[in-house]
Amino acid sequence: MKKFIAIITKELRMLLRDKIGLSILFIMPLVLIVVMTVIQDAAFHSISEEGVPLVFVDNDKDSLGISIGNGLKESTLCAFSDQIDGKPATAETARAAVSEGKFMIAVIIPEHATQKIRTSVEGLVEETMGLSEIGEIRHYVDSVEILMYIDPVAKNSIVVTVTSNLHEFIAAMKTKLMFETFSEQIGEIVPDGVSKPSNAYAKTQIVSYKQEYASKLEGGVTPNAVQHNVPAWTIFGIFFIVVSVVSNIMKEKKDGSAFRLHTMPTSYSQLIIGKLIVYVTVCTLQFFAMMLVGVYFMPVLGLPALDPGDSYVGLFFIGISTAFAATSFGVLIGTVAQSEQQGAILGSLSVLLLSALGGIWVPAYVMPGVMRTISEFSPMNWAMDGFYKLLFRGEGFFSTFAPGMKLIALSFVFLLGASLFNRYKKRA
Amino acid sequence: MEQPIIQINDLKKTYAGALEPSLRGISLQVKSGEVYGLLGPNGAGKTTLLSILCGVVAPSSGTILYRNHPISGNIRQLKQEIGVVPQDIALYPTLTARENLEFYGAMYGIHGADLQSKIQFWLDQFELSHAANRRIDKFSGGMKRRINLIASIMHNPQLLFLDEPTVGVDVQSRTKIMDQLVELNKRGMTIIYTSHHLAEAENFCDTIGIIDAGTIIASGSPNVLIEQTPGARDLEDVFLALTNRKLRD
Repeated sequence: MKKFIAIITKELRMLLRDKIGLSILFIMPLVLIVVMTVIQDAAFHSISEEGVPLVFVDNDKDSLGISIGNGLKESTLCAFSDQIDGKPATAETARAAVSEGKFMIAVIIPEHATQKIRTSVEGLVEETMGLSEIGEIRHYVDSVEILMYIDPVAKNSIVVTVTSNLHEFIAAMKTKLMFETFSEQIGEIVPDGVSKPSNAYAKTQIVSYKQEYASKLEGGVTPNAVQHNVPAWTIFGIFFIVVSVVSNIMKEKKDGSAFRLHTMPTSYSQLIIGKLIVYVTVCTLQFFAMMLVGVYFMPVLGLPALDPGDSYVGLFFIGISTAFAATSFGVLIGTVAQSEQQGAILGSLSVLLLSALGGIWVPAYVMPGVMRTISEFSPMNWAMDGFYKLLFRGEGFFSTFAPGMKLIALSFVFLLGASLFNRYKKRA
Repeated sequence: MEQPIIQINDLKKTYAGALEPSLRGISLQVKSGEVYGLLGPNGAGKTTLLSILCGVVAPSSGTILYRNHPISGNIRQLKQEIGVVPQDIALYPTLTARENLEFYGAMYGIHGADLQSKIQFWLDQFELSHAANRRIDKFSGGMKRRINLIASIMHNPQLLFLDEPTVGVDVQSRTKIMDQLVELNKRGMTIIYTSHHLAEAENFCDTIGIIDAGTIIASGSPNVLIEQTPGARDLEDVFLALTNRKLRD
């Protein structure tokens, strides 16, 4: 026990005197969390609040053009404009403006679009109601073509969202015109005194939908940049302990301390456990610091506060098991690496790779099938799973048991690998 | 000089992937209380031999007896009774001298007041008390060498391995280190010593073993080796005569 205390004291002293190392361990992950969350939040807001910059050209000047224009104006998705440099936009100027990057999308409603739809709908109604004379059945085709110019740098998801909104407006407009035409035709054939269909269409919405997040958290949970990014970048920050652990082990190898320690009556496992205790504690402190930043500092920046969920025990468990996995991985890399440079590169690159595979940068569910399968084997993915269960799904401690135990089991695999490699080196 | 403390018989070592063996069947014995000098050119196998003797590297074959018992079955006890002074300054540069000694002392199982009194004793012996609370990275080369030595003798080992303990230090520090080593030997500590400082070895060692290409090519007291080598006036002449002048890069 006294040896453990001596090892822990030594590691703590070295850590506390390494100011740059300490700042890397604590300040950098905090800065990373804040920066990434603010950036992600800004990106989210630029689309959802300020909207996609869109220029609208209405050559129709009738129901369809007015309806789509009003719809786009009211939509939070778009930053609507029908002018370019103070002049009414035309198809030509709109195209030029989009190509110059002034707008992301231009929507051009062609001339007589409403009239074409109306004529088409009238023909369909007459045909349906048998009002057309024999031999006069006309085949009206909805040939209205709405032109869109799209900035090549625009993300496909944004384009799809805007076009689906347009489809919705057009479909609503077409239904409305059809309803109006039906009303007029029916009005012409029903006898006087019988009530005609009112213009009820505009007042009722037969089908509506309600959106609710399926979470067990009291009062529900609203996904936002903080709730998504703080746990993700916390995991990433914790795993960067690998670089510090590798550096610590490599320095001992380089200056001969490791050799001297091997000549002493102290086992390899005692030395490693001493390191693990210190670095897992550091990681756990890092974790709490990052959670506190999420809860208390994010609102200072005008961002939503992190909702830490209902299970602090679960949060601690998943935090400490992530810390254990990260530190053990550092021990393995530090043991296997042959030089400080090799260890630093191997450590940082492997963390980046694991984070990419684990869904830190891009959610795993948007990855291709093979990558999604690989992602399921990334310890960062397990940690994310644990955090998401607590922070989004509102589940309790027991839900973190599976991902936490996977992380702990993997930690023992890493340590066993390091121990076996150490024995191999002695015999080699 | 009594019973052998270390007996090595036909010790061989070939590292994985190496084309040549590092040790090709070393046999020697070191008596208790003796100062045994292991001399040889670079790459001769000195460090490999020391690494095997102190339990850091496993031999490919051969036997090593420590106090007539194979070390393989009793490595923990061996490590408690030996001290190793590596050629590198194997100290933590950001820790003070006292903190380094506290840590290494604790690794030998010395704690509390006993540890503190031992640290103070050796700091006084090596005239380093004034710098006890100074970080190692602020020390001169000679001071580092002295702390490097103290870290390995605080637990009063029976057998001390010294790998070039005075390399790169000034005359004053070297004299202080050698005086203390002579004193330790007088008190019964067996020393196995490697150095390229042949005059120092000639004065310090009771027995010299000259190793080259993984084999002991000569052994005996310095005087006997000098007498047996035609034209040799000192150990350096003996060394050059036996290992020749070819560079070992």
